[in-house]
Amino acid sequence: MTNLTTLIRGEFSRLNKYGLFKANLVILLVWIFLVWFMESEALLRFIPLIFLMDSVMMTILLVGATLFYEKKEHTINSLMVTPVTENEYLMSKIITNVLNSLLTVFIISLAVYLLKGVTYKYWLVIPAVTLVSVVHTLIGIRLSYSAKDFTSLLINYMAYVFIFFLPSLFAQLNLVDQAVARFFILLPPEASGLLITSGFTVTEPWKIVFSSLYLALLSILLFRFVVKPQFIAYVMKETGV
Amino acid sequence: MIIVKNLRYKYPKNKDYVIDGVSFEIREGEIFGFLGPSGAGKSTTQKILIKLLTGFEGEITYQGRSLSSYTNEFYQDIGVSFEMPISFSKLTALENLRFFQRLYRKTVDLEPLLRRVGLWEDRNKKAGEYSKGMKIRLNFVRALLNDPKFLFLDEPTNGVDPANARIMKDMILEFKRRGGTVFLTSHIMGDVDELCDRVAFIAGGKLREEGSPRDLKLKYGKRTIRVEYRENDELHTKILPMEEIKNPDFFKLLQEKEIETLHSGETTLAEIFIKVTGVRLRD
Ligand SMILES: Nc1ncnc2c1ncn2[C@@H]1O[C@H](COP(=O)(O)OP(=O)(O)OP(=O)(O)O)[C@@H](O)[C@H]1O
Ligand SMILES: [Mg+2]
Repeated sequence: MTNLTTLIRGEFSRLNKYGLFKANLVILLVWIFLVWFMESEALLRFIPLIFLMDSVMMTILLVGATLFYEKKEHTINSLMVTPVTENEYLMSKIITNVLNSLLTVFIISLAVYLLKGVTYKYWLVIPAVTLVSVVHTLIGIRLSYSAKDFTSLLINYMAYVFIFFLPSLFAQLNLVDQAVARFFILLPPEASGLLITSGFTVTEPWKIVFSSLYLALLSILLFRFVVKPQFIAYVMKETGV
Repeated sequence: MIIVKNLRYKYPKNKDYVIDGVSFEIREGEIFGFLGPSGAGKSTTQKILIKLLTGFEGEITYQGRSLSSYTNEFYQDIGVSFEMPISFSKLTALENLRFFQRLYRKTVDLEPLLRRVGLWEDRNKKAGEYSKGMKIRLNFVRALLNDPKFLFLDEPTNGVDPANARIMKDMILEFKRRGGTVFLTSHIMGDVDELCDRVAFIAGGKLREEGSPRDLKLKYGKRTIRVEYRENDELHTKILPMEEIKNPDFFKLLQEKEIETLHSGETTLAEIFIKVTGVRLRD
């Protein structure tokens, strides 16, 4: 078994043992419960929203919570004196979150199909959710770097949601000029929403291509120039071991 | 095995050097004790040696190659126990160890190790529910689970009861007998005296003294013999220079008086510690 699979297995076993998986599952059940009462018309507008929230917010929260525990228990230091590399460590976080988001997609899609017989373009939804989850794992890690504790992580997280979601909301409510709103696709959540929604509606292909390339590029840049270079400093910021 | 030359280090946010020009060598197969007052930089030095802290000045070579040229393969060969015990609190002791074990190419059988340190019965208890001493022993086992060549132990027996400390010290000595090398810090001078082949004292960022415990005790002690004896129900003390040990008067004293104690004047590591670190700290 490679280090990466060991790390990912470790992530899942800890998500389970630390009760984070359970929290995730409860939320899933709430979604399924809501879906139950919806007509297929509303359903097709609501499901992308679930996937978006899961791959943006749950991803940030989950990676934030695991980093918080690792920091609190200093286990990150122990890991850094094993043959595990920084890349393996960071990749394990990304892959774990992607798998988690895809699990949500799988369970919700199955429930919707069984309950309502509704299907959609899975071949668009799956890569979209994967990409969105990758970007937001990295954003979540970055937000954790500058958080002293879990509360300040939550504040960072809310600030992120506020700053990046509000413009899209304003645009939806026609509070922003259309000419300006065009550029909102450059906000990660907006691009994310667009990509995920493309599995449920008809979207102009250039928008799908653009958003995909944009999020992929953003992931690479975040990893290469932000998350990875600051990682060691983050590990060492902690004292007392 | 490790050669440190002119090591200097300051934490990124601070302006003062914690380590300010320190040189020493850890030879293959020895137990090297790194001693000094609290806050002197012992743990910091260990973290530099295990490649956790980067950005130091000076030169560190490990088996003839610059430490920074090593990849993470370096960690296949070393075992580390930190100053504070570290484990995933909600995983059991065994789950903790198994997780770390899978990250190494070479591993050892856990059962005998856990039995030895008295944790086998409690292996399925959550690490978070362990007592402090149990956590420390668990960390000690974790440091050994990849069958390392080199052990870095930051105050390994601090907070462990005497019986378990005895077991851990025996294990450290056995590790050495099998050819292992150890870097060890401790405030327990008895342990240091018993375990270490050589020690170095650090204070105020500089190395103050270095040598085998025995040599240092001779160097800092007095070459005298101190005899306490009873005569007419009164306690008498006689101190004479070591050179006079073959003097007939001394033999006569031994033969005729009721000797209570007999000591040569070499000092203890604790006294050397205070002498070489304590005084200098104030300048
Ligand atoms: N992460 C850190 N950031 C900034 N300064 C630190 C950090 N860790 C330690 N220091 C400082 O570096 C100095 C040396 O600390 P270190 O932990 O190496 O001491 P030590 O010799 O191990 O002490 P002790 O015997 O108490 O364990 C101290 O002044 C400490 O305050
Ligand atoms: Mg220390």
